[in-house]
Amino acid sequence: MSESRLTVESLVSSISDLPSLPQAALRVIELTDNSASTALTIASVLAQDQALAVKVLRLANSAYYGLSRKVSTLQDAVVVLGMRTVRNLALVASSYPWMVKPVAGYDLGPKQLFCHSFGVATGAQLVARYCRFANPDEAFTAGLMCDIGKIAMSSCLEGSVHRIVEAAQNFCLSFDLAERQLFGFDHAEVGEYLARSWNFPAQAIEAIRYHHAPQTIQKWNPIVDCVHVGDYLTSIMGFGLGADGMQYIFDDSTLERLSMKAEDLDQVVNEFVEQYEAYERNFEELQAA
Amino acid sequence: MAAPPISVGMSQIHVAKGPAVFQCLGLGSCIGLALFDPRADVAGMAHIVLPEAPEVLDPTQAGKYANSCLPEFLKLLQALGAEPRRILAAYSGGAQVFKFGSGEGSKLDIGGRNAAAVEAVLAQHRLTVVAKDVGGTKGRTVVYTTETGIYRIKTLATGEKDLCNLREGGSACPKAA
Repeated sequence: MSESRLTVESLVSSISDLPSLPQAALRVIELTDNSASTALTIASVLAQDQALAVKVLRLANSAYYGLSRKVSTLQDAVVVLGMRTVRNLALVASSYPWMVKPVAGYDLGPKQLFCHSFGVATGAQLVARYCRFANPDEAFTAGLMCDIGKIAMSSCLEGSVHRIVEAAQNFCLSFDLAERQLFGFDHAEVGEYLARSWNFPAQAIEAIRYHHAPQTIQKWNPIVDCVHVGDYLTSIMGFGLGADGMQYIFDDSTLERLSMKAEDLDQVVNEFVEQYEAYERNFEELQAA
Repeated sequence: MAAPPISVGMSQIHVAKGPAVFQCLGLGSCIGLALFDPRADVAGMAHIVLPEAPEVLDPTQAGKYANSCLPEFLKLLQALGAEPRRILAAYSGGAQVFKFGSGEGSKLDIGGRNAAAVEAVLAQHRLTVVAKDVGGTKGRTVVYTTETGIYRIKTLATGEKDLCNLREGGSACPKAA
């Protein structure tokens, strides 16, 4: 089969309209992982991209964050909300334009990839807050980007995804395993490749790579588990499901590693739905921004 | 002109007397429950998220849980003239991931637990269930058009199918799974 000769690298290099992040956002990602960075350095980098700066300020002042006073400068936003929150605002604002496009290969309509990715980010952040093993904002970053590989993989699946899903069901395979059997890699590996090219934080890269198979990572990274649970919550709530639907495995050993019980999950679902809706209203403002 | 569809969001219950179109978009493990009293021409739809309400329930969240949704749903229908003994029910949803790592997902299987809880609570209130379509790994969008009585399910993989017609004596549609 011709697909078997594909590699992640050759696939990515063959796609002309790959998702990209503005330089300012990439630089902010880099700086927030550097302990020497200050609110001023982050703000001055963001200020170089006027469109992005306006969106970040607008989101920072939205009802969701409930700030008692208006934040009028980027430096203020970084001081009040924290570097990583501002980084996430910049990431959401930067990725929104391409995440709302349809992803035909997975039968994802307009906005569905964004709904799903945003759901995973919200869920991962919530789980991180709940279990206290990981930084919630780091979990959000990783969750938001966990399915970016689907954008590049889409061309491989266009027109055949329903047959692949049917075959996966018939042979009792998860969809990511079906992708690996057909192409030699799955959308998580493609996502890892893209995230590396953006110099994403190492923990986020691991979470993108292992978000469907957290048990296969060699050294425990709690963010991977948070994103796995976030992905599960988002899928069962039906947010942005494509043709692959819920043809995935939920590795319940993640709950053990995060010191959570199955009984905790109902409560987490409860909070997840409320938080997702609150966040969604907040980020809907991006469309107007 | 046909009435614009009423989107029934998570935890919501919507009811109407006369023609209405209710829809639940992208159900995963949630349940889209439709109830109809043919004589009163009163119908509604609920979007249930979880099987069981916590001990202390915020009354605005009654629609979220199977066991607190139904009493509230019936109350709203009765206010429009419905009588529980005449009410017909149809529901779908309750999907789940195809596998749990340990193979023992019963507590984690929120979709399966939702479907079981809805079945139990409908039985408890002695409501007639005309048809149901639960489980699987696919998201569903459901549209219930009260004027025709059709409860329609859309999935990406299998397209559209009519689960049942709640108006025509609550007949199950022949092609329904």
